[in-house]
Parts: sequence; C-alpha cells; structure tokens
Amino acid sequence: MEHLAYLDAGSGSLIVQAVVGGVAGAAVAAKLYWRRLVDRFRRQPTDQR
Amino acid sequence: MAISPTEVRPEPASFRDPANRVFHVGDEVLRGLDPQAAAHWRALTGSTFFPALVAARKVCATEDAPPTLVPAATGTPWAAVLRHERIPFVSHPYEWSFSMLRDAALLHLEILTAALGEGFTTKDGSAYNLQWRGAQPVFIDIGSFEPMRDGEPWAGYRQFCQTVLYPLMLTAHLGVDFQPWLRARVDGIEADELRPLFNGARRLRPGVLTHLHLHGAMQHRNAAASTTEVRDQLRAAGFSRELLLATVRGIEKLVGKLDRRPPESHWSDYQRTCGYSARDRVAKEQFVAVAVAAGTRPRLVLDLGANDGRYSRLAAGHADYVVAVEQDPTVVDELYRQLRSEGQRRILPLVLDLADPSPGGGWRGVERAGFAERASADVVLALAVVHHLAIGRNVPLPEVIDWLAGLTAPGGAVVVEFVHPEDPMATRLLANKPAGLFPDYRRDAFETLLAARGRITDRLELPSGTRTLYRTVMGG
Ligand SMILES: C[S@@+](CC[C@H](N)C(=O)[O-])C[C@H]1O[C@@H](n2cnc3c(N)ncnc32)[C@H](O)[C@@H]1O
Repeated sequence: MEHLAYLDAGSGSLIVQAVVGGVAGAAVAAKLYWRRLVDRFRRQPTDQR
Repeated sequence: MAISPTEVRPEPASFRDPANRVFHVGDEVLRGLDPQAAAHWRALTGSTFFPALVAARKVCATEDAPPTLVPAATGTPWAAVLRHERIPFVSHPYEWSFSMLRDAALLHLEILTAALGEGFTTKDGSAYNLQWRGAQPVFIDIGSFEPMRDGEPWAGYRQFCQTVLYPLMLTAHLGVDFQPWLRARVDGIEADELRPLFNGARRLRPGVLTHLHLHGAMQHRNAAASTTEVRDQLRAAGFSRELLLATVRGIEKLVGKLDRRPPESHWSDYQRTCGYSARDRVAKEQFVAVAVAAGTRPRLVLDLGANDGRYSRLAAGHADYVVAVEQDPTVVDELYRQLRSEGQRRILPLVLDLADPSPGGGWRGVERAGFAERASADVVLALAVVHHLAIGRNVPLPEVIDWLAGLTAPGGAVVVEFVHPEDPMATRLLANKPAGLFPDYRRDAFETLLAARGRITDRLELPSGTRTLYRTVMGG
C-alpha cells in the first residue's frame, strides 16, 4: 500500500538515517546503493535498443 | 475585545496536517480528528506508554469530548473530538533559551522512543510539538502519534534537524544565538544554510559530519527520488525497527552532549552589581508583594526585564502563572536551569527583547502569534526596566506607558519602578546620549502620563530617594 505522509520526510533525510545507524545501518545503506547500481546496469541494454 | 464563550475559533497554527485540527471554544482547547486519526487515537489510548506519559505530565492531558463541539471544514462532522489541557502561556522555540530547546528536544526523543517500543511513531519532529508548564516541557501534538510501519525511518527526522538539532549546534559549536535564526524561518534552518559555517576543523564537531554535511549532500543527491520509492528501497535493503531505535538513540546521545559555552554577560552579575541598598531592596520587595496580591488573584503575571527572576518568584507566591521575560539569552538560560532544578511549574522564562518583541510569523503572519497578541496579563511588572527602553532605546515615555497598558488585561494592574534621572544607573545611560535629549524623562512627567491612563493606587519612593514604585490599575 502506498503511504504518503502529510510531511515531506525528504528522500535524502530518510537514507541518511540508515548511514548514521552504526554498522548495521551502513550495511543497509550499502545494500540500497548496490541495488540501485545493479538496477541501472540491468536497465541499460534495454535503453540502448 | 470580548469573545463570546461559545464562539469556535480555529487555531491558526494548526492546519498543516489535515487529519486533525485544533480549535478554541472559550477557554477550552479542542481537536477534531478525521476517521483515520480517530482510529489512531483509540489505539493510542489502548497502549501502555501513552497513559504513562500523560500521568508523568510529559504529554498534555487529553480526553474525549462530544464530537458536536466543533465543525469540520468539509461539513461532515469530525469522527472524534478531543479536549486538551490548557497550556497557561503559549511560547515559541525562538523565545526559549539553549537549555530549554535542548530539554524540549530530549523529551521529544524520549517520547518517540517510548512510542517506537509499542509500534507507534510520531509523524513529525518539530520543536513546535512542545510547550511549557513553567520549567517543564510538555508534548502537545497528540495528532502526531500514529502506528509505525516496519522498515521505515523516522519521517520527522528532517524537521527535527531543522527546528532542533541545527539550532542547538549553532549555539553549542559556534557560540551563535539560535533564536534570531529560528524566528526568521518558520520551518527552521536548512542544512544548506548552515553548512558553509561548519567548514574546516568545525566539521569534526559532534554530529556535524553526519547530521549536517552528509545529510545535506544526501538531500541534493536524492532530490529527484520520491520518498515512497526511497521508503520501499530502504525496506527492501533491510531497514528495521532496531536500526531506527539505534538511530534515535544516537541522536539522543548527541543532543545530550551539546552544551552552550556561556559568553560573558553584562547582566548575569546584575544582582551583585545593581547598586540597591539593603533597605531599598526590602522596601521594593514588600511593595511588589503587596501590589501583586492586592486585587483578585492574578491568573497571569508578566515580569518584564526579569533578570534572575527574583520578582517572578515573589509574584508566583500570589499568582497562578508568571512569564519572566528577559532579553539576555545567557541570563534566561541560568534562570531556566535554576527553575528546572526546583521543579518549578508556574514560572516560564522567555528570551525576548522588549524593544523588538516576537512578531507574528508563518503563514499570513498569524501561524505563530506575536508576543503582543499573546500577552494579556492581570499584573504587569516593569521593575527597573523603563529607563532601558526610554533612554537606552529612545522610546518616548508616553509610548512606553501605552505599551504597558496594552499588555494589561482589562482591569489589570501595572507595577512599575521609575528610575529618576539622578539615579546612578539612569545617569550612566544618559551619559551615552547627547545632553538634553530626553527633557521629559522626569518623575513628575512620568506620573502625569501614568495617571492619564489609569488610577495610581499605591506609590512608594525607595529610601535611596532616586527610584519610585507605582501600582496603577489601568483604565481604572
Ligand atoms: C536593572 S535590571 C532589573 C531586573 C529586575 N526587574 C529588578 O527589578 O531587579 C534590567 C533588566 O532588564 C533587562 N532588559 C533591559 N532592556 C531590555 C529589553 N529591551 N528587553 C528585555 N529585557 C531588557 C536587562 O537585561 C536586565 O536584566
């Protein structure tokens, strides 16, 4: 379900909370960025067609 | 201005979250809830943390009220209506001292932590979620509680940084007063505004690298990503409630570490250097005590230029609530810390320059009410402060008295000390201005002005002979 809060939490402000959450948080952030990277590479071939 | 007891007045500061809205009816503070907010409220009353926080007086007391009491904007009635405990005097974070903002912040985080422990969260993180009962902060935004969704960070984090953490860092790390910054911006300080001030070695101050620089950079880098998308990505990457709790704990630790470095303040040593003889002091204290107690028990006393709060404490012995106003943030911070250690619930210290009081702010300039609009006191104390305005700030005497009258509720009294031009303190101020600039700064002229605006009921010249105290019933 899509959830929208009345307050714009700010995308960067959400991610940075993982980064400041110690080792476990850094792992979450790393995973998020890794997935974004992988997604980009996966998408690229289709983009070039 | 007479307000009819049943007139419903929407609170101008309560519109940002359409799920609920605060109204005033007479003296009552009511909040209308839409169906979802009403469901959240019912869940909240069934929790253990919420009633415990109310019992500890950390959250404002709240009860169900008949839903017919306030009209909903849409025409369909609110699903529920709540009645809140009244906060004796509403103040804004830019009127608080450093330690006040810090204690308010710690309470917000404590409440968030308690909520998270039972599957709730607060949907925002604003300093404006808090108010004061004397020197005790109290969380007022009941509409902010909602069930948390696992795997999501705190939605209020950015707002917390802007209205709480950055202002605290500004003062703790750089020695710059945060009040003018907060007053200028209803949404607080943006990371981008503050980052240039934290360059070089200042980056290494606690919290700066992460909560300010990294946070700011992340905001830029993710400006195009929607928060819905990012929430999903974070959940998929394994963001957990434990992680959220660890993050909040980290912020709490940081806030607890931030401390102000008090600058040398001319006024903090005032009581030692003020030059009152013991006889003057005793006479003044007696006069003020009798003057405050003279009429019906005052609900609100304003102490203007309160310094160390000596007369605020005296007044609190005869009144329900005292607001101690003082321009010097260091002096207010010291007073606050003392009042806090005494568990004082009836004296509220505020930082305010009387010659430049808080104007209305936010949307249409009414979202944050100006000081003049909030201040309607049964007794106004203006002790040894008129000369600072009349001589120090060039405010014409008639204006000073009109202004005092304006702060007084109908039938209320002004207790004012006039420092004669011959008094050493007045002489010192006059010496900084061209001779003859204030020909009307005289005791007889002052008294005539006072008598024209009210009825002088008591008058006392202090033993030193250079100061006179008056109790005047305004408009009487
Ligand atoms: C002479 S002391 C009087 C203190 C106390 N009312 C008494 O009678 O002992 C003046 C106080 O007024 C404060 N003050 C002076 N000008 C002010 C202003 N424009 N706004 C707020 N406070 C001011 C000073 O900081 C100082 O603490």
